[in-house]
Amino acid sequence: MVVFLQQIINGLAQGGIYSLIAIGWTTVFGIVGVINWTHGEVYMLGAYTGYFITTYLNMPMIPALLISMAVGAVIAMLVDQVSYKPLRKKGVLAATGFITALGMSQILRYTASAAFTVNPRAYPELTKQHLITLFEVNGTPVTISSLHLWILFGTVAIMVCLELFMRKTLTGKAMLAASQDMQTLGLMGVNAEKLIKITFGISGALGAAAGFFIGTIYAINPVMGALAGLKGWSCAILGGIGSITGSLIGGVLLGIVENLTAGYISTGYKDAIGFAVMILVLLIKPSGLMGYKFEEKV
Amino acid sequence: MKKLRKKSGDWFFGMSGLQTFLVSAAVILLICFIDKFHAGKSWIPTYGQHILVNCLLSAVLALGLNFVSGYLGQTSLGHAAFYGLGAYTTAIVLKYTEISFWITIPLGMLIAALASIPLAMASLRVRGQFLIVITYAFCEILRYVAINTQAFGGTGGIPGLTAPELFGVKLTKIAASNKGGYMILLFLIVSAVAYFSWRIEHSRVGYAFAAIREDEIAAVAMGINVRYYKVLAMMISAVICSVAGSIQAVFASMVSPELFSSTKSIQILTMVVIGGRMSIKGMILGGALLTILPEIFHSVKDLVGLSFDPWMILYGFLLVSMMRFCPQGIWGKKAEKEDE
Repeated sequence: MVVFLQQIINGLAQGGIYSLIAIGWTTVFGIVGVINWTHGEVYMLGAYTGYFITTYLNMPMIPALLISMAVGAVIAMLVDQVSYKPLRKKGVLAATGFITALGMSQILRYTASAAFTVNPRAYPELTKQHLITLFEVNGTPVTISSLHLWILFGTVAIMVCLELFMRKTLTGKAMLAASQDMQTLGLMGVNAEKLIKITFGISGALGAAAGFFIGTIYAINPVMGALAGLKGWSCAILGGIGSITGSLIGGVLLGIVENLTAGYISTGYKDAIGFAVMILVLLIKPSGLMGYKFEEKV
Repeated sequence: MKKLRKKSGDWFFGMSGLQTFLVSAAVILLICFIDKFHAGKSWIPTYGQHILVNCLLSAVLALGLNFVSGYLGQTSLGHAAFYGLGAYTTAIVLKYTEISFWITIPLGMLIAALASIPLAMASLRVRGQFLIVITYAFCEILRYVAINTQAFGGTGGIPGLTAPELFGVKLTKIAASNKGGYMILLFLIVSAVAYFSWRIEHSRVGYAFAAIREDEIAAVAMGINVRYYKVLAMMISAVICSVAGSIQAVFASMVSPELFSSTKSIQILTMVVIGGRMSIKGMILGGALLTILPEIFHSVKDLVGLSFDPWMILYGFLLVSMMRFCPQGIWGKKAEKEDE
């Protein structure tokens, strides 16, 4: 029982990171209608930005996080301008857009491995790490690392900001509307291109934040984006495309399920479980746990 | 054969299908046997022959994926799964039993066909980009199974497979170099698959594929059994890819979980996209192009002394610019309309 609880708590921080990645996927997919395969690479570049500014500029955690997010936003916007915008103008996104995204992610990933070399790198120690005892079961303590607590806190703070932005500002409301009907929104006098830029910016910032958080726990390398990006996509599907709360729940669920798989079945299958979940959800309940739309967007 | 000759003027250099077959057969035989007449002297470097075998293998894979991504217009990012299944079936049967290599090919085909059924069922329910991620995930799961099962050799795979024998002669001993036998075998397979693709394309089945590709709802309205044809296309393409896998296993004399890697799937898809969907010539040339280009860049890298591989970055540029400027592929016909 104690082990079970401990596994769940260990999965929480990882799950929070997955949710951040998942929201980046789902906002872009909801509004632009393309599976932005470069998202994993933005996550990786965010992690590297964090590494360079914390190691060489000795920045503390929070400013470094904000700078990484800004860099991630710029990269995502650039990717959109360079690769998707011309296709959007021609009206041939979807499958063509996906293959373009595949190409872009190859370019970013391998340019990064050429520039940063493939050797893994580790962040300097940003906060003192210690174990906090949450509660005791039959005298055995159930603990959480202070770093994990920081990450969870950061994830929740970012999500609250995002939710407020979506609900309270005009731009946020326009984004919600765009995910339902882009054409009508254009008729209402909203500048669609500007909206898409903002969407990519938000998605990139969230991806970079996830990369920064993962960098504080594990070592980073240029090919880490591939797997993490795909897991984020699984969470987005599990939670329901287009739903921010859904992505949060999906991410945390996947983080916990992965840890339980590693603990009780086999560590080798830990990474495969996300894919299995994704296939099952798409085949059985394509709208996910909280999704409100899936209709013929494909 | 008469029909083939009359209709297909668009093969290489304006030759008909049969002429192309005869000329390329002559070239392949020349490459295989020229060294036999000059004892001690080698005209064709073994490295070149190795690349030629890889080109032919790629051509088989691209022709296989063409059934799903070309004729049916569905993008799949998981065809390395069938390639790997064919290779693993051959390797496991050869390792644990005494069954001949030639029997393992149909066995691999059977297993790949069975494995393709769930994927085909998925393609009935979801479309477009969601199908792409499903096929991708399917392939990744198989990779994890291969890595984590001890009987399949784990991360190391299964090494030390022996070359197959044909009428008591080892395949590596048929021609002058040890690649010759594989070259002839693969050449015959590529020709057979190309002919088969061509016949399918101009048959009732091919027209049904075209109808589904252009407009699925209209196809249903015309009384085409979409379910049947989608499963059929996926099965044909799985079977063809598994043959390439079986031969790859004995050619490299080993199998490893890397056969299931997403890089391989992306490579197969790129061959189809760059060669031009639905163009048989495009498949063969696309396969060759994507096998030869990396080798050229590898040698450039060694020559200049770069610390990284420039090919992977260029590969991305190739995909992006193809999609932007020439989405129908180099040898493909101009698409009438963008589907999905």
